[in-house]
Amino acid sequence: MLDESGGHENVGARWRPTTFLLALPSLAVLVGLGFIPLALMATWSFWSFDPDTYWIKPAWSLASYAALLEDGRATVFLRTAGLAALTTAVSTLLAVPAATVVGLMSGPRRAALLLALFTIPFFTSGLVRAFAWRLVLGRHGVVNNALVSLGIVQTPVEWLLFSDFAVVLGMVAAYLPFAIIPIVLAFARIEHSVIRASLDLGAGFWTMFSTIVLPLVMPGIVAGFLFVFVVAVGTSMEVQLLGGAGASSISIMINDVLRVVNFPLAFAIATVVVTLLIVLITVANRALRLSRLFESLGI
Amino acid sequence: MSFDSIVTGRTSGGRLLFSAIAALCLTIMYAPVLYLLLASLNPDAQLGLVPPSRYSLTWYLALLEDRRLAGALEESALVGLGTAALATPIGLSAALAYRAMTRMRGIFLLVVLSAMLVPGTMEGLGLSAALRVVGLTPSWVTITIGHLLWTLPFAAVVSLIGLSAVKPSTIAAARDLGAGPMRAFVDITLPLMRANLISSFVFAFLLSLNEHARAYYLVGRQNTLPLYMFGAMNSGASPTIYAFSGAVIVISIAVVAVVFAGLAGQRSEGRDERQPRPADRGHTS
Amino acid sequence: MAHHSGNGPALGVFSQLTRRRLVHNGVLGAAALATGSLGIPRAARAADEINFWATGTLDIGDDGWKIVANDSGVKVNFTDNGNDPGPVVAKLAVGNANDIYDIGGLQGGSEKELARRGLIAPWDLSQIPNYASLWQWAKDIPYLTYEGKTYGIPTVINADSIIALRDKAGSVDSYGVIFDPKLKGKTAMEDAWINSVIFTAIYLKNSENAKIAEPGNLTADELGLVMEFLIKHKRDGQFRTFWNGWEQGLQLVANQEVWVMTGWEPIVYAARMRGVDCYYAVPKEGYEAWGNNTILLKGAVNRGRSKAAHRLVNALLSGFYGCKLGMLRGYVVPTDNNVAYATANSSAFDPARVGKLVEHVKKKFAGKVYWQNTRPDNFQLYETWWQRLRNA
Repeated sequence: MLDESGGHENVGARWRPTTFLLALPSLAVLVGLGFIPLALMATWSFWSFDPDTYWIKPAWSLASYAALLEDGRATVFLRTAGLAALTTAVSTLLAVPAATVVGLMSGPRRAALLLALFTIPFFTSGLVRAFAWRLVLGRHGVVNNALVSLGIVQTPVEWLLFSDFAVVLGMVAAYLPFAIIPIVLAFARIEHSVIRASLDLGAGFWTMFSTIVLPLVMPGIVAGFLFVFVVAVGTSMEVQLLGGAGASSISIMINDVLRVVNFPLAFAIATVVVTLLIVLITVANRALRLSRLFESLGI
Repeated sequence: MSFDSIVTGRTSGGRLLFSAIAALCLTIMYAPVLYLLLASLNPDAQLGLVPPSRYSLTWYLALLEDRRLAGALEESALVGLGTAALATPIGLSAALAYRAMTRMRGIFLLVVLSAMLVPGTMEGLGLSAALRVVGLTPSWVTITIGHLLWTLPFAAVVSLIGLSAVKPSTIAAARDLGAGPMRAFVDITLPLMRANLISSFVFAFLLSLNEHARAYYLVGRQNTLPLYMFGAMNSGASPTIYAFSGAVIVISIAVVAVVFAGLAGQRSEGRDERQPRPADRGHTS
Repeated sequence: MAHHSGNGPALGVFSQLTRRRLVHNGVLGAAALATGSLGIPRAARAADEINFWATGTLDIGDDGWKIVANDSGVKVNFTDNGNDPGPVVAKLAVGNANDIYDIGGLQGGSEKELARRGLIAPWDLSQIPNYASLWQWAKDIPYLTYEGKTYGIPTVINADSIIALRDKAGSVDSYGVIFDPKLKGKTAMEDAWINSVIFTAIYLKNSENAKIAEPGNLTADELGLVMEFLIKHKRDGQFRTFWNGWEQGLQLVANQEVWVMTGWEPIVYAARMRGVDCYYAVPKEGYEAWGNNTILLKGAVNRGRSKAAHRLVNALLSGFYGCKLGMLRGYVVPTDNNVAYATANSSAFDPARVGKLVEHVKKKFAGKVYWQNTRPDNFQLYETWWQRLRNA
């Protein structure tokens, strides 16, 4: 029998037909459709570039993977991951309080308004938004003009744009909703009576927040973390528009490599990215015991 | 889920700090957007701010005649709605399956998440090669397939969060009262998940609306909106694309607010958010 | 389905209202719209359609393509391919481009590999009478042919150099200004080794007497020399940024974010139209020449559209397209048909202006030019070095 409590009526490893049926649609899409590109990618990464046809030939070799260790390509992985991690950390730190305002300190109308406000920028083109940051942060942009006319600085601040600062700012601005919305949704787990009880019993706000709210909305925080990190690793817009001279990211590197039809190398990069992310998620899964995290509360 | 301002009274600076941070979030998110809105009122061809006395709707009027942009918008809307319509129920089913599993959970989760880990360019390339073999003509259908792969993990995780808010005791109570598993699901779980499912739908739609790497390789002859924008930025954009962003802001503020307000309004019991609520222990949300 | 676009200057005397009404009535290219056509009585209305997949800068807008349709009997559906040879070649090789497009436009250099892989078909020059009118040196560009057959028809050519802000940078006559420490943090180059490496090589060859034979086709050693030079300057903070795409480049100049940068000439025209006092430098080291060439996709031949494709390309070289593109962007189709057309249709195009533009381009090519090639012999090495530059 179907049991949404996720634990009580499960009997060992007995494979229930309903579970299989439930899993079928997503598996059909992900394995049926998604598996093929992955398999092609992984297989072709071990083939070699054929200079006669400018395509690949099935000569198995690890040359593409070896190439990843040269020319600073590994640095690109580290830099992309680093910027993504920084973006994710900043986004989460900002998202938790913001989501708490929505989930705990707002009635229905204000919550609706805030949620709408957090979502709306995402309806506009991310490219155009990132481009607009150039005009806001530039040497003669809004911020610098204000700083200079207020006398706070004598000459425009150069590092506001075409720097890691600009890239992280652009990415946080673009991906904050990914962090906020899941946390807001997780507030549904919190029974208002529990909050009220703790406050009535004399717990201060911060105690209540750290002992009750944070642990309960953790699934939302983790989900937001995952979303922002994954999207930040895969993006190229903010780096290209707001980074310094020739700043690179994994997506930019893949495009560079495709431009010279070095398909095996491009596929190798993608395979490594997927593998590393899978490892990361598996480790996080074990460490945070994600399955427990997403279980329902109470009995 | 219901929203309620339940933290009344003293918060030791908590409310102030959190509200300030929320305001900061909004500032960061809206800085470029507001700039675009104001700059799009500039009738000159050069993107920049001008004094309000010079504001004009030149580019908004030009927008109305831009058929290429309209075509791209139509394509993106079609793909987005198709993606969201598919991703939401499939994501829900994946979340339900995850919860029903025990030992296979880890692997299943990895499979579900795998689609979001693949760099978009490679996914698009690989998928278009595969779809060619099958003989599928590139069109909004192929893009939807690619976007479905991209958004499904997001929808599944969002559904997982929603499911984790459904208390087992509620379900058990329904079952004790004689409801079958299907009935319990439809009458109890789904309504509790409503906000969550709507979020899942909107998320998937927005993700698809902004995705260009996969779309580039899967698109037919009608470009999607992000591809149109990229093309315009690369080969000379008329300021209509900035007016477009401005129009989207203004329209979506209206639409989304109405939708959310309607949703939250239905769930509220008409409580005034300013009044301190009477002690009401044992009341489940 | 006829599309109406707000791009491009109004044609003749027709107001927007009239055009919209004609569109609504489904009247494609009524005689009234043919203000610019040669007035040759058209053959029976042909329903030929060609899907043209090319760089956005080659687009002349829906009203422009309508006139081309009148003259050639071929309706053009134009799609922007993003101009980046990487994704374009990938989409041809692995993706579905051959299924949905008929002809393509691409920066020269990739013709050989596309031909080798059977992705494009050779042109039958006997079906393109206007080919003869192309300037000889345009026809002679080496990468257009493979195994004796012509695969690329040069459609747009230009010679690139430096965009400079007059009041900030003064008078610029050398690429050295890009690397001048006095302008540290005020210069930019394009984020594309295709162009930036050639510019640097041209500079090093002519002004610093480096041992470089062909700036467009560097050997491994020469490439190392050029790239080390660029890496050093990047580390010194010489470049404010690298730009990518029209709007980015234009914004850098228009907002005075940089004072000089290597770039495309139409950016100067567009910036001037927006009130920025900038100019295109005439560097003593010479220009970088490039060609955007039209290729015939195999899929079109398979679909039986080869004849229509040839007719269209012939029309592109017949004069109207060159005039229109020239007035829109400042790009020139390498044929004297442009001036001839403008002279015959002086109500639509000012022959003096067209003539001036053509002479300007010819003059550039009469001097020192070095050809761009998207596939130098060591092209994969170029990318490797560019990665090192990125990570420097």
